[in-house]
Amino acid sequence: MQWSLSEEQSAYRQALRDWLGDVAPTEAVRGWLDAADHTTFTKRFVADGFWGVGVAEDLGGQGGGLVELALTAEELGRHAAPSASWLATLLAVPALAAAPAARAEVLAGAGAALLVAAESIVPGPVPVTVDDAGRVSGTVPRVLAGGEARFLVVPARGAAGMTLRLVEATDPGVRLARRELLDRSRSVADVVLSDAASEPLAVAAGEVLAQAANRAAVLVAADSLGATERMLELAVAYSGQRRQFGVPIGSFQAVKHAAATIMVGVEAARSVIYLAAASVHGGDPRAVLHAAAAKAQVTAEGARAADTALTLHGAIGYTWEHDLHLFYKRAKLDEWLFGSPTAWNEVLADALALA
Amino acid sequence: MDFDLTDEQATIRRAVAELAAKFDDQYWADKDAAHEFPTEFYRAFADGGWLGITIPEEYGGHGFGITEASLLLEEVAASGGGMNAASSMHLSIFGMHPVIVHGSDELKRENLPRIVTGDLHVCFGVTEPGAGLDTTRITTFARRDGSDYIINGRKVWISKALESEKILLLTRTTRFEDVSRKTEGLTLFLTDLDRDHVDIRPIRKMGRNAVSSNELFIDDLRVPAAHRVGEEGQGFRYILDGLNPERMLIAAEALGLGRAALRRAVRYGNEREVFGRPIGKNQGLQFPLADSLARLDAAELALRKATWLYDHGRPCAREANTAKYLCADAAFQAADRALQTHGGMGYAEEYHVARYFREARLLRIAPLSQEMVLNYLGEHVLGLPRSY
Ligand SMILES: Cc1cc2nc3c(=O)[nH]c(=O)nc-3n(C[C@H](O)[C@H](O)[C@H](O)COP(=O)(O)OP(=O)(O)OC[C@H]3O[C@@H](n4cnc5c(N)ncnc54)[C@H](O)[C@@H]3O)c2cc1C
Repeated sequence: MQWSLSEEQSAYRQALRDWLGDVAPTEAVRGWLDAADHTTFTKRFVADGFWGVGVAEDLGGQGGGLVELALTAEELGRHAAPSASWLATLLAVPALAAAPAARAEVLAGAGAALLVAAESIVPGPVPVTVDDAGRVSGTVPRVLAGGEARFLVVPARGAAGMTLRLVEATDPGVRLARRELLDRSRSVADVVLSDAASEPLAVAAGEVLAQAANRAAVLVAADSLGATERMLELAVAYSGQRRQFGVPIGSFQAVKHAAATIMVGVEAARSVIYLAAASVHGGDPRAVLHAAAAKAQVTAEGARAADTALTLHGAIGYTWEHDLHLFYKRAKLDEWLFGSPTAWNEVLADALALA
Repeated sequence: MDFDLTDEQATIRRAVAELAAKFDDQYWADKDAAHEFPTEFYRAFADGGWLGITIPEEYGGHGFGITEASLLLEEVAASGGGMNAASSMHLSIFGMHPVIVHGSDELKRENLPRIVTGDLHVCFGVTEPGAGLDTTRITTFARRDGSDYIINGRKVWISKALESEKILLLTRTTRFEDVSRKTEGLTLFLTDLDRDHVDIRPIRKMGRNAVSSNELFIDDLRVPAAHRVGEEGQGFRYILDGLNPERMLIAAEALGLGRAALRRAVRYGNEREVFGRPIGKNQGLQFPLADSLARLDAAELALRKATWLYDHGRPCAREANTAKYLCADAAFQAADRALQTHGGMGYAEEYHVARYFREARLLRIAPLSQEMVLNYLGEHVLGLPRSY
């Protein structure tokens, strides 16, 4: 078996990496995070044509699929870019398949968010109800980029069971309360709906949400991979510079081995993520297993790698001045975002037909 | 607090180490390879009076506590004799506890002095094919017949049965289905392994091969009521009494084995040169061994506390379980690392660490698995709901 990125995919990755290098170096990222400003980055990302990558052309995107999205997520993680809005939007877009007007706005940069608590496997508990007049009510805590979206895709229970409803964030029945995260490169908001007006979304809710769960798993894993690679680079560079006992600390075997262990994790992560991306995209019957394995393994390993990288930096890694903490926090949130390793391991265990 | 051994304990420890040192690694490797009981070793310890260390003085023993017994078994294992050495005498050291506490005078007079002299080999028959950790599920049945019992059933894994004259045998005298509490209706016997009614078949196994473990097919074994230990139906309770000290002794054996493995690893780490320097100079090798030292030392403290509590008549289940858990893990890890330190030579029998490795693995399974220790701590110490 051989699987590798196509020439276009490699070229795309390089272009995006170069672009992020120019637009989102850590000084710029720090500036946005200090100002709690995620929109400047989003606007540039849209303006320079990256927003629609990974969305099929017949849906108004620029083509490509989950592999391209995973490449994007990996690069965004590598730069700790404020990309919650991008991720939230891309998870919501498939639900807009039959809502062309909203979709066009969203893909032009308006942003959308799936109304799901950010720590759960999509859809998580569904606390929102819809009445006969199409008004929705209920509170969903911790919605990823919930405060940055123009459109809300709302799983809701009603007479017809669970359906998806479209709500405009500007509706008077919508109240938003932002919450601070330790990882300031992402945002969440509690969304309170009180008789908000909504439109039906004519898609199969169960299928769309199940697919969203798998896509979220793959993309968060890819984000974790990017952050981990960046931490590995930082740790290796630092251990070459920092001298103790008259030699670079990187000459100590225990330090080398710790870095090598991160490297092993990175390589394993890449293999499982891109397999899972292709599998989820192609509708493989085992897609959920691949997605679960990716999310559980990669993000747990990413969180461990973050601790190792911190150890390798000694006390300097513990400071706010050093960049490490940007990626450390990124990897730590990725562990929990859209389902913890334990939750995804449960998914795997269920699929293994254990008693 | 006082971390010192008493003078007596220190003397025991030294004397045992000296005696055990007369049997070198080659002796144990040969016995293990030949699947041959270490008779010379066992004899030396019997003649030295060590087998009766915990047996009351009135029956010829020394009446020492579990602390002394654990020091003995630890040193025996640490000599390099490992589990072969420890298992050859394990049952003599403390296995008679239920008999000492609950047995009739006659039963004690008949058996205990012979344990002390080493003349009587005994094995312990609990496990059955259908009842491993879930002991109350055993089905070997002792049916009353006049003044006797007739026993039928199957046991598995019974160590040293091949070499034993008698067996401490757990049976049911009331079937599981017919008791109101599952721990009732079990009866313990100390009786002869009459080869005409008990077929003994050794099990081929991964290690500790100088001492056999066997399947027993018990067919109409007639046992006089005088061989019953204590009252009918109370056998489970009698065994339960001995579980904590049993865990401590297993922990001590594990600890000794871990020390033996670590000693070999350090020796090889200093001797073997690769890339122009001793391999022990690599942090990749040195740190795991240093880590194992720390873990063995910590496990030792847990064990010492457990035996101290027991000998002072205090509750000790938490500590006994913890000691077993930590010692078994630390020992296995030390053995695994010793093997890795030896590289390819670790895989050869010549360096003995392969033997230690196989034996250390056993201690995470038997007589009580690590999982059951966690069940105990989770349920009875932490107060979480029973998980099974
Ligand atoms: C070399 C050797 C010598 C032995 N010598 C003797 C002897 O002399 N006399 C004697 O009576 N027995 C002897 N045994 C048997 C030994 O005591 C048992 O193997 C041991 O009690 C485990 O039982 P089992 O093998 O039936 O495992 P099982 O009870 O079948 O358990 C299998 C696995 O499931 C796990 N498990 C079971 N229940 C639970 C639970 N509730 N929660 C979580 N995990 C669980 C266990 O931890 C284990 O990993 C010996 C065994 C060996 C290997």
